[in-house]
Amino acid sequence: MNCAEFQRILPDIIDEGHTPEQEAHLRSCYICSNLISDLTAISREAQLLQASEEPSPRVWNSIEIALRREGLIRQPLRDSEVPPPSRRWNLAWLLPVAAALLVAFGVIAHQRGMSRQTAQQSPVTPISESSLAHPSVDDQVLLEALGTHSPTMRVAYETNLRNVNAYIHDAEDQANADPNDEEARQSLMNAYQEKAMVYEMALNRSLP
Amino acid sequence: MTDAKKPQDDRLSEAEAIERAKGGDAEAFEVLYNLHKRRVYSLCLRMTANTAQAEDLTQEAFLQLFRKIATFRGESAFSTWLHRMSVNVVLMHLRKKGLPVVSLEETIETEEETPRKELGAQDPVLAGSINRLQLQRAIDDLPPGYRTIFVLHDVEGYEHNEIAGMVGCSIGNSKSQLHKARMKLREFLKTSRAEKAAKP
Repeated sequence: MNCAEFQRILPDIIDEGHTPEQEAHLRSCYICSNLISDLTAISREAQLLQASEEPSPRVWNSIEIALRREGLIRQPLRDSEVPPPSRRWNLAWLLPVAAALLVAFGVIAHQRGMSRQTAQQSPVTPISESSLAHPSVDDQVLLEALGTHSPTMRVAYETNLRNVNAYIHDAEDQANADPNDEEARQSLMNAYQEKAMVYEMALNRSLP
Repeated sequence: MTDAKKPQDDRLSEAEAIERAKGGDAEAFEVLYNLHKRRVYSLCLRMTANTAQAEDLTQEAFLQLFRKIATFRGESAFSTWLHRMSVNVVLMHLRKKGLPVVSLEETIETEEETPRKELGAQDPVLAGSINRLQLQRAIDDLPPGYRTIFVLHDVEGYEHNEIAGMVGCSIGNSKSQLHKARMKLREFLKTSRAEKAAKP
């Protein structure tokens, strides 16, 4: 057996082992021997790459938001998971913030609905660009509260808030550009719901 | 996950978590995610060579899993089910992006298949000198088609017949592409080592 013959069947040799004839060639040919050695080493090292990387906390937070939005998470918190009143007290005032966001959304959506109905008769006042495109004071307070318990969690929620604020901003732009755009209004609704979800998760679940 | 919840999560077995997740238990979903996140994310990252895409695909794979978890009956291993689903999510993504899941060079016999005599003649073997970072970079530099087959076979441990079914090629093509991928990686790693050695 020569090198050309050997290398033609190389893929099978690496994964399935070699015959005595191939073994004899390997003993006499350092080129083919080195080649087999290198390819085997690459294959062996590659196995160590399985499960070698850790995703950022942002991934789970996004999954959790989606699961809650889709209603796949249904079970209410068990009593044992509810933080004691002393810990909840400091952040209890933030709960209305989440509710306020939903109410604000409701008002906007209602106004939009009314505007749509009267679009033929009067021009629609566009929604002013929201400060939610950037972290608001409420966002900062929430992040600081999270940061005191878990810096990693703070980073994750910072990313989530940035994303959802950008989402709201884009949806508002789209809605302002065309007040009769049903899809834009739906996007805006989803964006506010997502933000409320982020607040709810931060307050009710992710804090220790 | 908060530190306070870790001990509780650790006590929850995969089977228990699956049953509780079917009932919509938030903690059970998180336990399942934590058990498998590294494997799924690493697969996505190796196959796309892009962190942002890998995160999005990891999210998509788990969401698909959780949406279907009520249908899981345990005939197959949960991890097998999840990983197969993850591979499909990544392959679908690659196809949507117009990237070949099988290299377009698959049927062309190139000289790279047969190493030149001088390659390896003077160099010491790679065994023992491959570090993880170098190998990761080399895999990232592979053409997408070669990368897919290499990751599925050598990293994830799928057999050629399984890969052929997943990516839609013949078993022969899968073997051929794997070999070419390994040869390219060898070339990258040797070049990388030579460049490193040449630096003062």
